[in-house]
Amino acid sequence: MSFEPKILGIACNWCTYTGADLAGTTRLEYPPNVRVVRVMCSSRINPSFIFRAFQLGADGVLVGGCHPGDCHYNTGNLYARRRLATAKKILEFAGLESGRLRVEWISASEGNKFAEVVEEFTTQIKNLGPQTKLKIQV
Amino acid sequence: MTDFKKIEEKLKKEAKRLLESGAVTVALAYEKGYDEKHPMPYAAKNIADVENIVFNEYCNYNMARYLVRYPQGTKIAIAVKAADSRAVIQLIQEEKVKRENLILLGIPVQGMKNPKTGEVIDNKTTCGMYNPVLFDILLAEEVHGEKSASPYDVLAQYEAMDKDARWEFWKKELDKCIHCYACRKACPMCYCDPCFIDQSKPKWSEKAPQSPGNMMYHLTRFHHLAGRCIDCGECSRACPVDIPLYLFHKKVAKECEEMFNQKAGMSIEDKPVLIDFRVEDSDKILE
Repeated sequence: MSFEPKILGIACNWCTYTGADLAGTTRLEYPPNVRVVRVMCSSRINPSFIFRAFQLGADGVLVGGCHPGDCHYNTGNLYARRRLATAKKILEFAGLESGRLRVEWISASEGNKFAEVVEEFTTQIKNLGPQTKLKIQV
Repeated sequence: MTDFKKIEEKLKKEAKRLLESGAVTVALAYEKGYDEKHPMPYAAKNIADVENIVFNEYCNYNMARYLVRYPQGTKIAIAVKAADSRAVIQLIQEEKVKRENLILLGIPVQGMKNPKTGEVIDNKTTCGMYNPVLFDILLAEEVHGEKSASPYDVLAQYEAMDKDARWEFWKKELDKCIHCYACRKACPMCYCDPCFIDQSKPKWSEKAPQSPGNMMYHLTRFHHLAGRCIDCGECSRACPVDIPLYLFHKKVAKECEEMFNQKAGMSIEDKPVLIDFRVEDSDKILE
């Protein structure tokens, strides 16, 4: 059986989640590997969520937020940008493939972009193979 | 080389003067341990206590650790070396202590030794600075002429490693962890109560000293100290199983410096990088 990655998508309520909705209502096809969790803002994402997701078996984590400057709460995604950048550097230095965490700015009107990003990211994770480093072995 | 005896005398004198005049209610310094190699952190509360104060080349504890234990508003005199003064600045930035409540007794020092190995502590495991950044009273001549090398040089060999090799390295190192939390106890920046690892709702991590719990604890701790770690190296010296935590902290500090152009604990005007942002931050940092 071919490898079907499990990808955790964390999407901000105002942009990316609505963008994903748009992708759905416009009947765009994209791989079903992403499980989307909705948060109110990308700055709601504690980087520990991401570390924990990898531990609990995610092969990749996709974080979606509003474009910088477009945040519903004005500055949330600007904080998130710094936080997630640091988290990424930490995972990288620990030895995890840096491609497993991706942050994208997807607005509510970019259903196309959401589908494209998911498509691209899924292929990328498929190429990287299963994530076994952080995953808790039972 | 630094004259430790002279510093000790001056430290006693200043602590006595400050306690006597009532300018401070407590003076944080070091006292004699069971031998010369193991001095202990010490809080002198009255003039008689001052006699117990010692200072030698093994007094490398970061006394900034103890500032947050006193209620806000307590007047404190504290003996600070280079990295310690940066820790104090960082705590002021985070509004844990107020500048006006502190009297910093700056100690420019060179040739501190690690009691475990007897080696001189240099830029390999710490920030490699000699002179305090912030002080009210300087207890010795500032160290000049000694060019301090970049504290990040030691990282080169680990950055050059293949990512799988680096993973193996960190897994091997972090799996030694016995969850004694000495790193957390020694760290001047670790003051959360409760710490995320002690919480059960939500349960952030496995707590057993096994691979998953170790990874989660340390990775999250590295992130919590991102842009705040002042590179005193206390965590690695406190570690009973000698995990080179300083390497990871250095790496994160280096990345933060490159991404946000700000070094932790250098000015009380700054804001910690992760509770701040700039509109002109580049999206490139996410790649």
